[in-house]
Amino acid sequence: MSRIRVLNTSLFLLFIFLIQTSLIARINFPIGGFSIYIAILMVVLSLEDRNGSLVFGFIGGLIMDLAPSAQTPFGQWALAMTVIGYIFSVNRETVGDFNDRPLALTSLVSVAASVSMLIFIVIGALLGQNNGGLLHSLSIIFSNLLWTFLITPIFIPLILKVRKILLTNRERV
Amino acid sequence: MASRGGNRSRLLLVLLLVSSLFLITLDLRGVNLVSGIRNGVSTVISPVENLFSKLFSPVGNFASDVRNFRQSKKQVTELNKQIDLLKNKQVLDEDMVNQLSQLRNVLDLAGRGGYKVVAARVINRGSAATFKKTVTIDVGSRSGVTKNMTVISESGLVGVVKSVTSNSSIVLLMSDPTFKVGVRIAGTQSIGVLSGKGGSTYLLELLDATGEIKIGDALVARGSADNRPFVPGVPVGVVTTVQSNSSSITQNADVESITNLEKISVVAVVIAAAKGDPRDSLIPKPQPTQTVYVTPTPTPSPGD
Repeated sequence: MSRIRVLNTSLFLLFIFLIQTSLIARINFPIGGFSIYIAILMVVLSLEDRNGSLVFGFIGGLIMDLAPSAQTPFGQWALAMTVIGYIFSVNRETVGDFNDRPLALTSLVSVAASVSMLIFIVIGALLGQNNGGLLHSLSIIFSNLLWTFLITPIFIPLILKVRKILLTNRERV
Repeated sequence: MASRGGNRSRLLLVLLLVSSLFLITLDLRGVNLVSGIRNGVSTVISPVENLFSKLFSPVGNFASDVRNFRQSKKQVTELNKQIDLLKNKQVLDEDMVNQLSQLRNVLDLAGRGGYKVVAARVINRGSAATFKKTVTIDVGSRSGVTKNMTVISESGLVGVVKSVTSNSSIVLLMSDPTFKVGVRIAGTQSIGVLSGKGGSTYLLELLDATGEIKIGDALVARGSADNRPFVPGVPVGVVTTVQSNSSSITQNADVESITNLEKISVVAVVIAAAKGDPRDSLIPKPQPTQTVYVTPTPTPSPGD
């Protein structure tokens, strides 16, 4: 994994983060909400190799920690996403190639997004945060799962194309 | 070779986990660098949020519009009838008129309460991923806004300023489940605590066991020491259901907020409270009912 790709992918994630905070966050989704940023980060992680999953999990989490509306310690999302990156890296060989199985990728991304939020909540609970009760948090996670499952298939082809562009010539071969 | 790769991954994992924990520790210990980064990002993002707010303000209500499609369809039919009447009139931007109306009403409320306020526009809502009900407003420390100031709308309480940058602030909405405010039942001395439940309803726990709650009772903020975070007298909500439970020491009630937090676009941050407590003067007065007298037309009798 080259430095230029780390930079390219980080800038891409930063751009998605900007769209999430400026545009998607202002839509009143029923039940809870939807994070396009987490969904796209999960797609990126699922397509990376072992080290890539870890590195982009950490960077992706750090970018989430930048959210101005976040009232949580800086680094909490980075920790949660590093754990998710690790889970992806360990199971990379098991889950296989998703290019021919879009439904499997959508399901994985939806579940992984929910798991990442759950890890974030658990870390928050360990740090003594009050996020308004388990039921409230679970309803947000469930809503995100539902919306991710419904919306992700729309932009997956675009993300796959963007990722191909972000790969260096050597990595494409 | 595989073992070397595995060791490298493990080392990378440990390095990243340690880095994350280091950052969390720095933040929890209150190192300015970390909060500085967030404030920097907020300062950079807020102009973009402002731009998106102007461009995509109708997008926010898209989902709720879809939910209320049937009702909207009926309204559209009625509105179509009115279009002909409005054709010859100058139609101002509805959103702008609404914002102006909200601004006028919020300044009116602040004026009646004797509050010194800074008006602000809501430029963004907190992401669901933050697990907090927040909004971003377009005023910050440059306008004199500081942490823990009360935020009001045209009808009453909205929330409390939680963090401030130079040109924007994050407001924790009263609907957040962690939000609690001391309230008083208007017209009485009964006090209680109102808590957010994540939606449009709230829970009132009356502290006075002998106090009486009735449906329709209006609640006002009691105010805090030095008026932070709550100034006294701000209307908060109206009791909708009283939970009568003889075994409970305290009395509970469901409360509906006086402010529709989903629709707010203009708010005001209370910079300084009035010298005295405005008591119940900010509670909206009920509209007087109009009595219509109808005189029956005499029906002609068969003999006429």
